[in-house]
Amino acid sequence: MQLIALDEYRFRIPRDERRGMRTDVIIYASKELIEQIRKDQSLEQAMNVATLPGIVGHSLAMPDIHQGYGFPIGGVAATDIQDGVVSPGGVGFDINCGVRLVRTNLTRDEVRQRLREVVNQLFRDIPCGTGSEGPIRLSNAQLDQVLVEGARWAVRQGYGVERDAEFAEEGGGLPGADPDKVSAKAKERGRPQLGTVGSGNHFLEVQWVEQIHDEEAARALGLELNQVAVLIHCGSRALGHQVCTDYLAEMGVAMKRYNITLPDRQLACVPIQSPEGQAYLAAMRASANFAWANRQVIMHFLRGSLEKLFGKNVRVDLVYDVAHNIAKEEAHVVDGQKRRVLVHRKGATRAFPPGHREIPAAYRQIGQPVLIPGSMGTASWVLVGTERAMKETFGSVCHGAGRLMSRTAAKKGRNAREVQERLEQQGILVRSETRDGILEEVPEAYKNVDQVIEVVHAAGLARKVARLRPMAVIKG
Amino acid sequence: MFEVIEHTADIGFRVRAATPAELFARAGEALMSLAFELDNVEPRQSCDLSATGWDWESLMVNWLSEVLFVLDAQRLLLRRFEVARISPEAIEARGYGEPCNPQRHRAKLVIKGVTYHQLAVEQRSEGWYAQVILDI
Repeated sequence: MQLIALDEYRFRIPRDERRGMRTDVIIYASKELIEQIRKDQSLEQAMNVATLPGIVGHSLAMPDIHQGYGFPIGGVAATDIQDGVVSPGGVGFDINCGVRLVRTNLTRDEVRQRLREVVNQLFRDIPCGTGSEGPIRLSNAQLDQVLVEGARWAVRQGYGVERDAEFAEEGGGLPGADPDKVSAKAKERGRPQLGTVGSGNHFLEVQWVEQIHDEEAARALGLELNQVAVLIHCGSRALGHQVCTDYLAEMGVAMKRYNITLPDRQLACVPIQSPEGQAYLAAMRASANFAWANRQVIMHFLRGSLEKLFGKNVRVDLVYDVAHNIAKEEAHVVDGQKRRVLVHRKGATRAFPPGHREIPAAYRQIGQPVLIPGSMGTASWVLVGTERAMKETFGSVCHGAGRLMSRTAAKKGRNAREVQERLEQQGILVRSETRDGILEEVPEAYKNVDQVIEVVHAAGLARKVARLRPMAVIKG
Repeated sequence: MFEVIEHTADIGFRVRAATPAELFARAGEALMSLAFELDNVEPRQSCDLSATGWDWESLMVNWLSEVLFVLDAQRLLLRRFEVARISPEAIEARGYGEPCNPQRHRAKLVIKGVTYHQLAVEQRSEGWYAQVILDI
């Protein structure tokens, strides 16, 4: 494969590398990361994405890219809103999987002294794990309201305060969601799961601010050294999974009608303006709203847990909430022309620059907050978006550290208790529903998050604001 | 009965059988046993399942999605499947098992969906073969 180094952090696979590619692939990576990236099929997948009808700009690969299904995870592709396609594979099964960062007025020392109590309280109050059900029972009409309103529904019901919704991407709810486009099956799978974390790589992590790299931005975000924050990572649960399954099946059939042939069936897509494309987008937005409501309800439970332990004066405020599996209609300038495009972010985070009107007014000067969780036991980062990301990547950056090892490989030769003890020696308490939950997510199963962040920072796609270290992790 | 495939972010399996009916039954069992420890599951209850497709591959994805739906929405653990009728366009089957009881049944994985990634369903000289990658 021809991989041309454009500079220290940019590589290009030219479109003539394979027949059918409509554009180049641009990869953001260091020399070290690109060697890891080449070991799996993620670059072939990014080349497959370059064959999508109506793709605008390049097929983009972030430094945390790894092999997914159809799209690579860590991939970004924009398609023309009139002539382009929408691909559910470009969003993934976990629609609006994302992260929410919550700051507190507690210090590292205050929490460290009562860490075991904190972990146990969170584990009691916040449902996580395989098949977890939440305490909220929704009628059909209520579920439809969740799908239309997202986090705002949760706030209206008392699961949060007004400010929480304001500080989420899209105000915690995308317009244009249609509950009627979400199947009865999807609603049945998702209904009991509002307010649950789930399992796999989803978690809730208690962290402390270890480094500040940009004082002004940190101040605007309300972050300071040694402050305790909590990162919530989860998505639309089985509701979103079923929506993806339903529309993949429908599009597989419909594609033939639109004469679309692709190198990978998982890339199944239809024209955005087709009835199937519009139906998927309406259902995807509904699922995204379910995910925002989900993270909002979890934050409410978290608030309750911390109040029980530290009293009513504890402050629990939303810093920001970002989606990293989503497709959104946005305006971008491409080759000097303003275009309406559908930006598919699959394992990628929106990173809009300072001044963008979609950023909450309090943050508009600094740029959109970008939240990047690292692996269990390493570090997470807060960054802000830049003008360069807007020009080069449709305002997008990476979403995490990126997996290196399969879950089976991560489990091989490791013992959950040893992993737990090793993390405990580093001051990190882990509580999981299952042993596998710990082993599959061992820190060494992931790329080094600092190297990934260095690439996006040095390439100018986002600016470092703060580095947070974990103290406690609860997961499925 | 089946072989587990490692994949960076996901998991999968390969199954082999003499007939398509047996192949699809085994694939259903493979999915269930990746999600749950099935040793304690008794065939106390049965459940009818059906799916449609337009070729063997799409039928496999839609069939396993149906199995996953029964597991996820109805919390029914099925350890054995009998396929009554099958063609590349449709499958009708019955699964045997019991409702999930967290006291007795250990969950292993949450499966989000069945993918077309590296999917294969084919007749080979030695019999029928399928490879399926699941998103977890």
